[in-house]
Amino acid sequence: MRNRLAGIFWSLLFLAVPVLGVAVFAIAPSIDVWLPRDVSEHGKDIDSLFYFILALTGVVFIATEVLLFWFIWKYDAAKREGPATFIHGSHTLEVIWTVIPAVLLLFLAIYQMNAWADVKMRRPMMPPTVEVVGRQFEWRLRYPGRDGELGTPDDLFLVNDLHVPVNEEVLIQLKSMDVLHSFFLPNLRIKQDAVPGMKIPVWFKATETGQFDIVCAELCGWGHYKMKGRITIEPREDFEAWLERKYREQEATQPSAELEMARND
Amino acid sequence: MHEHHPNPTRPTRHEGIRSVILAIGLCLIAAVGCGRPRVDGPAADAEAAKKLRVVLASSGGGGGSAEAEESTGTGWGTLGGRFVFTGTPPEATALVVDKDTAVCTAGGRKLFDQSLQVDPSTKGLAGVVVFARKVRRVKERAIPEKPLVFDQKHCEFLSPVFAARVGQPVDVRNSDPIGHNTNISGTAFNQLIPAGDGTIFTPSRETGMPVSVTCNIHPWMKAYAVFREDGYVAVSGTDGSFEIPDLPAGEKVELQVWHARATGPNGALVLDNDDLGWSSKGRFEVTLTADEVTDLGSIEVPASAIGG
Amino acid sequence: MLPSSPRHSASLLPAMLPCAALLAMSAICLSGCGGAPPASFRANMVEATKQQLRPEQEEQVATILLAMFGTPDDPVALPETGLDEAKLRLAAGPVRSDIVGRKNGLFREHCSHCHGITGDGLGPTAAFLNPYPRDYRPGVYKFKSTERADKPTDADLARILHNGIYGTSMPSFDLLGKQKIEALVEYVKYLSMRGETELWLMRAFFDLDDEDEGRLPETREFLVEDTLLPIAERWQEAEDAVIEVPEMPEDLDLAESIALGKELYHGNKANCVKCHGVTALGDGQANDYDDWNKPIVQLRKELDSTLSSLAETSTADMSPDELAEHVREIEWADRFEQVLAGDALEPRTIPPRNLRRAIYRGGRRPLDLYYRIHAGINGAPMPAAKGTVAPEDIWHIVNYIRSLPYGFDGELGADRPLASHGGFSTGSSGVATHTRSNP
Repeated sequence: MRNRLAGIFWSLLFLAVPVLGVAVFAIAPSIDVWLPRDVSEHGKDIDSLFYFILALTGVVFIATEVLLFWFIWKYDAAKREGPATFIHGSHTLEVIWTVIPAVLLLFLAIYQMNAWADVKMRRPMMPPTVEVVGRQFEWRLRYPGRDGELGTPDDLFLVNDLHVPVNEEVLIQLKSMDVLHSFFLPNLRIKQDAVPGMKIPVWFKATETGQFDIVCAELCGWGHYKMKGRITIEPREDFEAWLERKYREQEATQPSAELEMARND
Repeated sequence: MHEHHPNPTRPTRHEGIRSVILAIGLCLIAAVGCGRPRVDGPAADAEAAKKLRVVLASSGGGGGSAEAEESTGTGWGTLGGRFVFTGTPPEATALVVDKDTAVCTAGGRKLFDQSLQVDPSTKGLAGVVVFARKVRRVKERAIPEKPLVFDQKHCEFLSPVFAARVGQPVDVRNSDPIGHNTNISGTAFNQLIPAGDGTIFTPSRETGMPVSVTCNIHPWMKAYAVFREDGYVAVSGTDGSFEIPDLPAGEKVELQVWHARATGPNGALVLDNDDLGWSSKGRFEVTLTADEVTDLGSIEVPASAIGG
Repeated sequence: MLPSSPRHSASLLPAMLPCAALLAMSAICLSGCGGAPPASFRANMVEATKQQLRPEQEEQVATILLAMFGTPDDPVALPETGLDEAKLRLAAGPVRSDIVGRKNGLFREHCSHCHGITGDGLGPTAAFLNPYPRDYRPGVYKFKSTERADKPTDADLARILHNGIYGTSMPSFDLLGKQKIEALVEYVKYLSMRGETELWLMRAFFDLDDEDEGRLPETREFLVEDTLLPIAERWQEAEDAVIEVPEMPEDLDLAESIALGKELYHGNKANCVKCHGVTALGDGQANDYDDWNKPIVQLRKELDSTLSSLAETSTADMSPDELAEHVREIEWADRFEQVLAGDALEPRTIPPRNLRRAIYRGGRRPLDLYYRIHAGINGAPMPAAKGTVAPEDIWHIVNYIRSLPYGFDGELGADRPLASHGGFSTGSSGVATHTRSNP
């Protein structure tokens, strides 16, 4: 009887995979291990794509795993007498389970094209709001300053503290100073590799104010895990006031208590 | 149909043993790790530290430092002597001058390392600093008002070793047509000296052993300076002779000796001189006679006391 | 009939060997998780060997420091230091959360892998960095608002933590927030005072009389009043040593000021051109060292000459005493070599700053540039212009320097690269030209 027990054990073990898998996905949102809060305009498209693919693959996953369990349970050698039946393949079956996934994939490819183009190809024709340069292990920022042009003496240089106006299209010019980094804004569903030698445009429109994370998503060295920045989305007037204040600090010719030390804004 | 298929995927005994050996080998490599072996100092004595912490927390001074010893002599005397280099002094190395050559090596002149100066005729060793380390009395003498001149020309310091009293103004001059900056380590002084100009520097603290003086624009330039509170300091001249006047007479006076190239700790000149009781820290003691010059005579400095 | 598969026959053994090997490997790896020994400060081995301290003298210094400053997990700050022990506790110790969920162990989490647990700039990552991380132990700091030989103020250190140091591997810790930055500043001062005390104590052995058994007096007077207090007071006086900066004149014509600044740059008073170069690329000279590397170079030179003279000395005619002395010297020299290999990083020259890339390590405000020119940079060859160059002239030089990255009107030809786009010299081809050696 020990052999039959082994069969039961292994088949239940394999059943646990789809059961636990589905359970984890089901409880994830309630324990806050799900998609971060979305505050961007195109985020809805990205998230709906994600859910669609999740549902599609989820169905296939459950079906195949349950089938696996069923075969291990039903055809356990311990409880069968007599020889196994061998078949030499079924052409029809193979065609079916090749064509259906191919069609699905093609469908997905076409279905997502618009969302991809919106995020990666339809660049807004505007001067950059800010230049972000990834550097081991920080994000260096350069705002164009009052003359609106990057590369002039009135540029504003900052580190890790990105501010953008809300409800406006923002264009970021992304560069890297040394190695590959990846500019990842989880709450804005934006991720773009910063490639050394390239100036890559990144754009989005934020729909809510708040402070969110900038994270590096491409292994860039020993400090990759702590290459964190902060993006602050605020109304246009606050944004301009902040730019003005930072510029005055940068051009300071006298020390002053209000400009010294921390302002964790 | 029902052949016995030998299982081709079952590993043989040899393959099994090989993989075990490989696994153990990898473990050993991982365990060894790759770090530079570092020399560790001895660990602190935790028990003693606890007791010491109690001492430090108490407000009363537990057994103060040695009381200043009572002075037993009277009068003031002068100490003199002459340092003589025995053996052949090594050749002075030529300095690499790669800047402002129009001024520094004008007319093809070469600049040499001045840290070891031995007079060829008298064999006198210049640049030996002798200062009083322990005196029980200090004669009241006014700090000289006239600044001591420390000049530089042709991209070298004109005084390779100089001594001044704390509070005595030092006129750091630049007699070159180009700018220099003079950096006296251990002090706040690292300043640009424009061509043909000078700056007054007044040492406010005494140095322990002499400190180095450099120029950052012309890094080959090097000199040494020593500042003492009581002013009991002398630098041996070209013929190796030195003199320190107004030292307390009739009692023991401990003197420290230093040279730029000495091999002793912190540059102390350590000699094998039993007559003076020369210590391994380059110190000796004398008792002077009042109103007289106590001449120590020739003090031999062998080549082994001077390093590279 | 298929024979039933063998389950317990001997031919199963080879199959189980890889599994056994895997288990053995896991056991060995997991055995390392038995709990690391508590962190401890490293002694300043270079100074101890340089001062030729005996093991009992090194032990005495370690014991005194343990009493006065505690351990990395349990810092002690005597009231004379003026340090806030609550802030120290936030920064010290292993990374953990305290009872209110606040993160502790800040220094170990953020700083120690470069700066070392002792603040000696010898952390595990240090050897890979250019420039090396700061060694706090000599108590010398480059980028501050005080006169050259004075300590930095708390605001100066906090500034470095906020902005990082552009052009180096020191990142910006702005996101930590004000409270954590203050705690880290306090801890840096603590490590610095500890390092300075250690240096002082090790050098004090030479100042002992020859008759003493080579033991420092363990009295409150010597340790606290003569040693610790002067060190702590320099730190406390830093606020009073801030450089007074005159206002930049309101009616200043920028173009005129830049032209004047250029004259001063090339002139004989400020002599900037001598080190920073005719085109301000920092190519005026490349063979000087900063105050952290210079002693190592010097020691290396002395050690090499000692070793070669020891090798040349013949032991044939030596008396037993001389022979013992000779052997002792060889042992000391060997130990010193080991210490230099393990406790000192490979010395590097310090190149003068390339002023055309808009990379200013101490800060890019005009105020910061004024501080650098006025007081020079402590620990670096950059001299002080104070007293030689008038304050208004310093402002002219500042304006000239700030104009350099945006267009250079030098007399040299087209082969000299122009740093356009300030600081990020991508040129027209869009190719980054960041040079590692002189950013």
